[in-house]
Amino acid sequence: MNKVLLIIQREYLSRVKKKSFIIMTFLTPLLIAGIYGLIGYFTYKGIKDTHDKVAVVSINKTLTDRLKSDDNIDYLYVDQPLNDIKKSLKKTDFDYVLYLPEFSLKDPKGIELFGEKQAGLSLNSKISRDIEELIRNQKLKESGIAQSDLDQLKTSVNIDTKKITSETGKEETSSAGASTIIAFVAGILMFMFIMLYGVQVMRGVIEEKTSRIIEVIISSVKPFQLMMGKIIGIALVGLTQFILWIVLTFTITTIATTVLMDKTDIKKITTSAQANQIKAGADIATQAQGPMVDIQKSLAGLDISKIVFVFIFFFLGGYLFYSALYAAIGSAVDSETETQQFMMPVMMPLLLGYALSLSVVTNDPYGNVAFWLSMIPFTSPIAMVVRMPYGVPNWELALSMGILIVGFIGTVWIASRIYRVGILMYGKKTTFKEMFKWFTYKA
Amino acid sequence: MLSVKNIVKQYASHRALDDVSLEVEKGTIFGLLGPNGAGKTSLIRIITQITAPDSGEVLINGQRLNSDHISQIGYLPEERGLYKKMEIGEQVLYLSKLKGLSTAEATKRIKFWFEKLEMKDWWSKKVEDLSKGMQQKVQFVATVLHQPELIILDEPFSGFDPVNADIIKNEILELNKQGATFIFSTHRMESVEELCDQIALINRSKKILDGSVDEIKATYRNNTYWIEYEGDYNVKSVNDLFDVLQTENVKGKKLIKIQLHANKTVNEVLSNLLPLISISKLDEVIPTMNEIFIDKVKRQDYE
Repeated sequence: MNKVLLIIQREYLSRVKKKSFIIMTFLTPLLIAGIYGLIGYFTYKGIKDTHDKVAVVSINKTLTDRLKSDDNIDYLYVDQPLNDIKKSLKKTDFDYVLYLPEFSLKDPKGIELFGEKQAGLSLNSKISRDIEELIRNQKLKESGIAQSDLDQLKTSVNIDTKKITSETGKEETSSAGASTIIAFVAGILMFMFIMLYGVQVMRGVIEEKTSRIIEVIISSVKPFQLMMGKIIGIALVGLTQFILWIVLTFTITTIATTVLMDKTDIKKITTSAQANQIKAGADIATQAQGPMVDIQKSLAGLDISKIVFVFIFFFLGGYLFYSALYAAIGSAVDSETETQQFMMPVMMPLLLGYALSLSVVTNDPYGNVAFWLSMIPFTSPIAMVVRMPYGVPNWELALSMGILIVGFIGTVWIASRIYRVGILMYGKKTTFKEMFKWFTYKA
Repeated sequence: MLSVKNIVKQYASHRALDDVSLEVEKGTIFGLLGPNGAGKTSLIRIITQITAPDSGEVLINGQRLNSDHISQIGYLPEERGLYKKMEIGEQVLYLSKLKGLSTAEATKRIKFWFEKLEMKDWWSKKVEDLSKGMQQKVQFVATVLHQPELIILDEPFSGFDPVNADIIKNEILELNKQGATFIFSTHRMESVEELCDQIALINRSKKILDGSVDEIKATYRNNTYWIEYEGDYNVKSVNDLFDVLQTENVKGKKLIKIQLHANKTVNEVLSNLLPLISISKLDEVIPTMNEIFIDKVKRQDYE
């Protein structure tokens, strides 16, 4: 055990001390903050840009209502003749002039839009939609429907899903939306983690072979200890980097927003965002308040500490399991160029688990597919996290965790077995057939 | 100290070791000889517990090989290397801690050895900055640092320049004097004669010869001598004493290589020849280990 600690220590320190690690750790948050800043800048600019002012010149008598301004377009009815305003458009702060001639409701013709710039496709369709609505309302009114009835035409439906636990009959709130988002985030995080650090495990294993130090090492420690130390050591490197990234990104973003942007700009962005929400909220009440509400709602129905624990457990467990698979690949080959053929089969189950979790499991969280996906260690790290918000029986949770732990240790054992045999065959190309043979004979 | 008993090791299609037994006594330098691919490294990997034999057993001081023995063995493999990106000092420290030394003790010993082998300022260097010979020195230090009872060196001198090879050779002899047992694996015979007390010759997975170097050489003596002389003698008069295998003439001096007949002694030959010629030199022809090695290997291959 002491030796495993030594290996963990070496794997951790030798990586953390590397220049590339230090540079990446500090550069990535800067990049993320930079991208974040750019997105913020363009959103701000976007709000300003898409806000078009349209002067409406209407000689139309049929339409009794007027076009209503909203976030994107300000309609302003002017009394000037069309030709005058067309000429003086440059001097006014209008972007476009909309001309509404007299037309029959059945066949509206002759509507024109003038501007310094050619109006974009989205603006064009937006204006035509607004006019169409106006015409439709006019038609409805003419057929005898009162304005008050019209206003009440729109209804929004939102279903609160609740689960009844059989023993107590208690109702628990759950949410499909929330779990999908958790699964999505968990999936992305795991992918990133596995791609970044699982590959490092593989490289580390190969490095020891190419630098010919393994014979010395494994005459001192067992390959199993070496693998275990390597995987855990590199996992800790990954966690260190991740945590630093989160902390640094947060710090840099906070500093940058307070220093670089003046307060009025921030205010503008937040108020417009709020305005958006209020506007949307008027239309469809709860749904548009963002999935955060859903998550909060469904989390309130569950034991949060349990969810967090399960998430962390499966996140780390999944990472360790896949790292062990990478270690096995590293053990089987002599150089990185040979790893390609083995990479796909390893990533496939993760991709499959991800895809199935977001489709089948969210649709039927208690079905057979969901059950098995959350048991098999290749897919359980994602599937189980997806199922969590729907409520998973404790025995299933325990079984799945047990299988994952056994799966991890088993994979490390297999990897160390391949490793032991692999070193006896320097420079020999590895095929699946060869690997199978290695299992069947004594090392 | 070490006894290897009837080891058999089978790889998928070929047998690397076939019923090999050895005895290595405490405090000796033991030479494990054999051509490339004979099975030397396979045997060493079994002793160092990298692999396990299919049958047979290995005893160290009468105990079956187990993980406690790891700290008692120092192993310098033929395929040897170091972590490329790690500082030399850290690296040796890590390797010796894996063998069970404490940080303080290991540091003390590394400083001692670095001083001794003129490597003082290497602590914070990286492997990339060292020549191959320098790396070998580091590896040697890492092998002996934990003061193992048994030190196994696989082709230890390949890659060393003569100066460093000599330094290492002296260190080996000194450690041996302090009580360490050595196993040398090599196919280069010159080093064996200088250093080894005992040898075992492995060819085609089998042990074909073992014993002390002197004894083996003695059994390979076949009463052959070189005589350097002046003058002439009648060949017929000595016909019953010896056969002349070879005659040579080097810088005015006559040389003959003779083989004594059975039951004849050198003294008899001399007393017969001395009245006839003046002898300036007489040398017994003792086969070198290299000749014995080649002879043995060829004979087995022929069979």
